[in-house]
Amino acid sequence: MLECIIPNNIVCHAVEAMLFASIACSILGVIITQLKISSIGFTMAHAAFAGAACGMFFGYDPIISAIVVSILIALLIGPLSERAKMSEDTILGVLFGILMAIAIFFIAYMQYVGKGFNASSLLFGDVISLYRGEVYALALISLLAVVFVIAFYKEITAIIFDKKIAEASGIKVKPIYHALLFMIAFTVALSLNIVGGLLLYVWLITPAAIAYQFMYDVKGLFIVAPVVAAVVSVSGAVTGLEYCLPVGPLTAVVFSVIFIISVLFSRKRRISNRKF
Amino acid sequence: MAGDLHPQIELSGVYTTYMGAELPVIRDMSIDINKGEFVIIGGPNGAGKTTLLETINGMLHITHGSVRVCGLDVTRQGVEVRKKTGYVLQSFAFDPLTPFTVEHVVMMGRYGILGCFRNPSEPDYRAVEESIKMLGLEDLSEKPIGTLSGGQQQKVLIAQNLAKKPEIMLLDEPFSNLDLFTREFVSDVMTEISSKGCTICMVSHAFDALPDKDLRIVVMDEGCIHLDTFCHSSEVEDNIRKISAVS
Repeated sequence: MLECIIPNNIVCHAVEAMLFASIACSILGVIITQLKISSIGFTMAHAAFAGAACGMFFGYDPIISAIVVSILIALLIGPLSERAKMSEDTILGVLFGILMAIAIFFIAYMQYVGKGFNASSLLFGDVISLYRGEVYALALISLLAVVFVIAFYKEITAIIFDKKIAEASGIKVKPIYHALLFMIAFTVALSLNIVGGLLLYVWLITPAAIAYQFMYDVKGLFIVAPVVAAVVSVSGAVTGLEYCLPVGPLTAVVFSVIFIISVLFSRKRRISNRKF
Repeated sequence: MAGDLHPQIELSGVYTTYMGAELPVIRDMSIDINKGEFVIIGGPNGAGKTTLLETINGMLHITHGSVRVCGLDVTRQGVEVRKKTGYVLQSFAFDPLTPFTVEHVVMMGRYGILGCFRNPSEPDYRAVEESIKMLGLEDLSEKPIGTLSGGQQQKVLIAQNLAKKPEIMLLDEPFSNLDLFTREFVSDVMTEISSKGCTICMVSHAFDALPDKDLRIVVMDEGCIHLDTFCHSSEVEDNIRKISAVS
């Protein structure tokens, strides 16, 4: 898609992947940070991990089984939290434990019977070795996530503000909230084996956290977070490839440094000395 | 019109139970409230007053009986009922850094009526502006709600509900965060919308700023109605005290 600007295929694919995934994840990240469900990232990573281990054990393609299990878990989060009358974060914690246990059980058993299993590619995908098809898949997933947020922007912002007030104002909170949780989990699960867990966790939290230091309205968060994410991610990809540095960790470090600086200079924490 | 022949709120033999609770909070309650009535709901803590409001707007599960609001069956058409009904919650706490301005919060009152895939248009912005003006919040409209005082936040939530132009306004202790002058101001706003035909059901323990007119008072205890009568606002407190002492 960006071949006309970046002739080198490896750099072009990496930049495209970083651009698409960072924009989608940082937009979803605004919702995740406001709903305080940041553990959805590693829970979905372990859903994919458990799915891949199951798939390997039963002789199925680990990528397909990782995606199937991730989608099933994504469908489960909303209704389970509703049914259990507990916060989503608690449910995500419970699911994380179960999924990790399932993954470890199958990996240990496969090692016992002499089958090898390497989960690193699944959890730590590599943006500099992507095929064109994977970049297109990432673009499609990112587009779906962005379209979903734009289509239900009103309802999503009301739910972020206060679920009970949103319900009282006549919004169908439950189906939209469950669809929102599904969309976040679905995007995380499908992007995970393409871009890897490290960058995904960073994109889901840090750009929104940086934007939050300066923005007083939610619309500003939805604009600033993806802009920050895209600029830092593309710069990280180009710099990393130019100087032969690992792209993911480099970008993650830059994001963290910007976050620390933004906390230090946040106007939200400024105490005015004015007397009148 | 058929809607005018029937009470606007009709509860018949209603039981409402919270998830996990053994006994219903509201028990065999029947009450009719007509369009434009100004009803004060009183009673001790735990009497079921908030539960009654949330039964009327369909936010709670009704185990027995029937509730009809504006001619709609609340059990099956709860969302439609909530689009016609304002509900100002008793307790709320907003993070001081929450990224929502007053104007945005008031606009949220219109979101239910707008429905999915429709953005606010001129009439919605006009309704929001009118509500903000009605509550005297013009100077605060661009401020984040978390930076306002409890009383100002209370007024924002009232404005949010007024923005939807409700047929019924349910208020749960709306005076709890307000000073005396603001109570009188909010009471005047409620009197104004009541005079335009909006039905008001207000749970309150503060009786010093009620509108200067005859009101209907409903006193509850243990999920049942112990008194349902009309009296002047100056007699509301005495009536509630008497019946609460007896029960």
